[in-house]
Amino acid sequence: MGVLIEGKNLSKAFGGLTAVKGVDFHLSAGEIVGLIGPNGAGKTTLFNLITGIFPPDTGTLSFKGQTLLERKPFEICRLGIGRTFQIVRPFLKMTCLENILVGIIGRGEKGRGKGEKHEEAREILKVTGLSAHEPRLAKDLTLIEKKRLEMARALATKPGVILLDEVLAGLNPSEIQQALELIEKIRSQFQITLFWIEHVMGAIMKASDRVIVLDQGRKIKEGKPLEVVSDPRVIEAYLGEENA
Amino acid sequence: MYVTNGIVIGVINAISAIGVSLIVGIMKVVNFAHGELYIFAGYFSYHLSVSLGLHPLLAMPISIFLVFVIGLVMEKTLIRPTYGDDMYSLIITFVLSIVLQNAALLIFGPYPNKPPSLVTGATNILGFFHYGNQRLLSFFISLGILFFIFYLIKKTWFGKSIRAVSQDREMSGLMGVDHYRINMLSFGLGASLAGAAGVILAPIFPVTPSASSAVSLTAFVVVVLGGMGSLKGCIVGGLVLGIIENLGAAYISTMYRHIFAFVILILVLVFRPWGLYGQRT
Amino acid sequence: MGSEPKDTFPRGERAIGRNGEGEKEKIEPLDESWIEIMDGKKIGFLIFLLILAIFPPFVLSQYWLHVMIISLFYVMMASSWNLLAGFTGQVSFAHAAFSGVGAYLSGMLAVFLGLSPWLGIAAGTFGAAVLGLGLGFLCIRMGGIYLSLTTLGFSEILRIVITNEDHWTRGTMGLQVPGLFAVYSKTSYYFLFLFFAVVMLVFIRRLIRSEWGVTFRAVLNDEVAASASGINTIRVRILAFTLTSAMAGLAGGLYGHYLMLITPDIPSLGQMFLVLAMAVIGGMGSFAGPILGSFILEFLSEYIRSWGEYHVLLYGLIALIMARFAPEGIMGLWAKRRRNPWAS
Repeated sequence: MGVLIEGKNLSKAFGGLTAVKGVDFHLSAGEIVGLIGPNGAGKTTLFNLITGIFPPDTGTLSFKGQTLLERKPFEICRLGIGRTFQIVRPFLKMTCLENILVGIIGRGEKGRGKGEKHEEAREILKVTGLSAHEPRLAKDLTLIEKKRLEMARALATKPGVILLDEVLAGLNPSEIQQALELIEKIRSQFQITLFWIEHVMGAIMKASDRVIVLDQGRKIKEGKPLEVVSDPRVIEAYLGEENA
Repeated sequence: MYVTNGIVIGVINAISAIGVSLIVGIMKVVNFAHGELYIFAGYFSYHLSVSLGLHPLLAMPISIFLVFVIGLVMEKTLIRPTYGDDMYSLIITFVLSIVLQNAALLIFGPYPNKPPSLVTGATNILGFFHYGNQRLLSFFISLGILFFIFYLIKKTWFGKSIRAVSQDREMSGLMGVDHYRINMLSFGLGASLAGAAGVILAPIFPVTPSASSAVSLTAFVVVVLGGMGSLKGCIVGGLVLGIIENLGAAYISTMYRHIFAFVILILVLVFRPWGLYGQRT
Repeated sequence: MGSEPKDTFPRGERAIGRNGEGEKEKIEPLDESWIEIMDGKKIGFLIFLLILAIFPPFVLSQYWLHVMIISLFYVMMASSWNLLAGFTGQVSFAHAAFSGVGAYLSGMLAVFLGLSPWLGIAAGTFGAAVLGLGLGFLCIRMGGIYLSLTTLGFSEILRIVITNEDHWTRGTMGLQVPGLFAVYSKTSYYFLFLFFAVVMLVFIRRLIRSEWGVTFRAVLNDEVAASASGINTIRVRILAFTLTSAMAGLAGGLYGHYLMLITPDIPSLGQMFLVLAMAVIGGMGSFAGPILGSFILEFLSEYIRSWGEYHVLLYGLIALIMARFAPEGIMGLWAKRRRNPWAS
């Protein structure tokens, strides 16, 4: 069956503000699922719920059958869910190599030597095209390089799923192309399922197998990219945002 | 009488606390040097009235203004570069407070300075007890300041900008609010409030260099208790702390007076970090 | 060591660099296998240690030996505080308080139960560790500001209780406690402090360079991202608190039995400030920074004391300037100079 992540009836409110309401979703192995919606629709909140940053008010969440509720973020990472952040956050005052090492260390494996882990980190740097930057501090990298680093770090945690949060934001067209190539490489070479929040519509429609649309915390549409993009409710949700 | 004391002190605490709360809310910086600004205002008030012979009614606002300027300078030179770095702003204001405390010792000497009171004598409160007039006056002045602050925050453009910046820095920047100016003015305002509390209380409780720590502590506890960023919280928190401290000192132990504040601080931070009226993050 | 100038005031890495080169050639013919584990830095360090061990007790007066001992106390305090604040980002103001816990616990056990001060210090270290564990746990949900305020509150509560419970602690008059040696000898104390300081520093250095060091710094840089990468940030933070509090307790215990008079000045914010200033000026987040800062500030304060008690103000100003313009302290400036040797 291959359902990796399953969420049912998830809701989360902050004070008086409802961020997510009654959302159901699922992710199956090997898919790329896009998550779109106007600003404030609750997309990042959903990601935060999945990764355990705060608990949902209602609903269930599971990964490969195991519940994700009541788990700390680092446990959820070790189960196999990695993520990147909307505003890229590598470890700025650490070198690229060290950034990746953190991901490797975070797996919590015993009995592996320092040299072995360093080698693995170098491998990951190579795969993500960052070998030249190994000794450089993350804060000295350009935006696209930082995003590569963040993805590399997520890769280092050996995830089954990666949650990408607006990974293409702020990139120019050629950089977007680079990022898409990297993502495709990650997907095919490492067999990683992707759940992807994005505003760059062209990219996400092309890449996704399936798209979920959130608006004001609720799921308003789910389906293949072409279906979703022509659905009048989806169009209205976005138009509403433009007029706001 | 203790309760009255508590209320009076509480209101003044509130002013002082708002000074801290403002800065924390806008700039996410805890101004450790708060107490030092308080005593500097007290010292200025004293010297302006006693050494220079100015009338207290003149000396007080001038002192507050001087402290306001100091606040502006502080923000521009020291705090501004630490935006986004919690750790360094913490360290800088902590070190600053030590520097200012020692500077006060050096400049003004270790002896308590007591600016002259505006009024003397006592009034009979409801036939129960006599209460110092200066304290009563302080209470009313503080209320006045509180109303002024409310007006400033709720009604004026400045207040609206402050609220915008504290809620969402990025968005308010996009809407044309000048962060740097707002931050500097807010810091100055926060400093002035510390100064105001200083000039109001100095005639009652003379200022010494070591008094600054207690002032800072009280302000922090009130802000935490009331909830960071909440004006109402500062007032309620100020009153609660004022009453508890006075009652506690009277009935339990004077030596452990300050412990009440610390214990409340820790209890709140552990169990309900957003205080009474703050926002849960 | 013929042409090396006698270094009575150690200056950290510069001395190591100079000595390392010179000495390497001498050792080679003696035992070749040593070359594999000894690089220039380690050799230089051992020489430096040798200098520290040999010269001060025989060259310095009792007064300056005392200053060296106090410096070593601060080296332990500043280095352990740096491990907590500079490496995991938890700016604790309770560090001096923990040294007070070590001192008072050890002292009171000696005075009231007749416990040997050696055991007392062990108990003091353990007590500080336990309290550190508790405080770290208490603060776990708190970010920078709240954590600092809580540790401040904790520190002051401790100091107030110590000051007021003078039946047990003799309050501000001070608790007189026995020394560690049957015959009082500054030289013995010096070696003792040197021993523990070196042990502590070796431990810290190995920690920093191990995976734990990377983990600590990840938490320092970005706790949320670290957590999302699989790091158990709670365990890291509490571990750091416990370890560093134990170190402060150890330093405090030694200090108390050296001074033989324990006062509430030890767990005070004034002491906390000195420790912080030494770490900041020397260089937070580096290994040698706190060491440098401790020696420099302590020795400087002795000179300044002849004019008056201005050293606190001066240190505050320097620390402010450093934090504002050179956040990585003296070590940071030194590293920058190395990278750009042609800059003026």
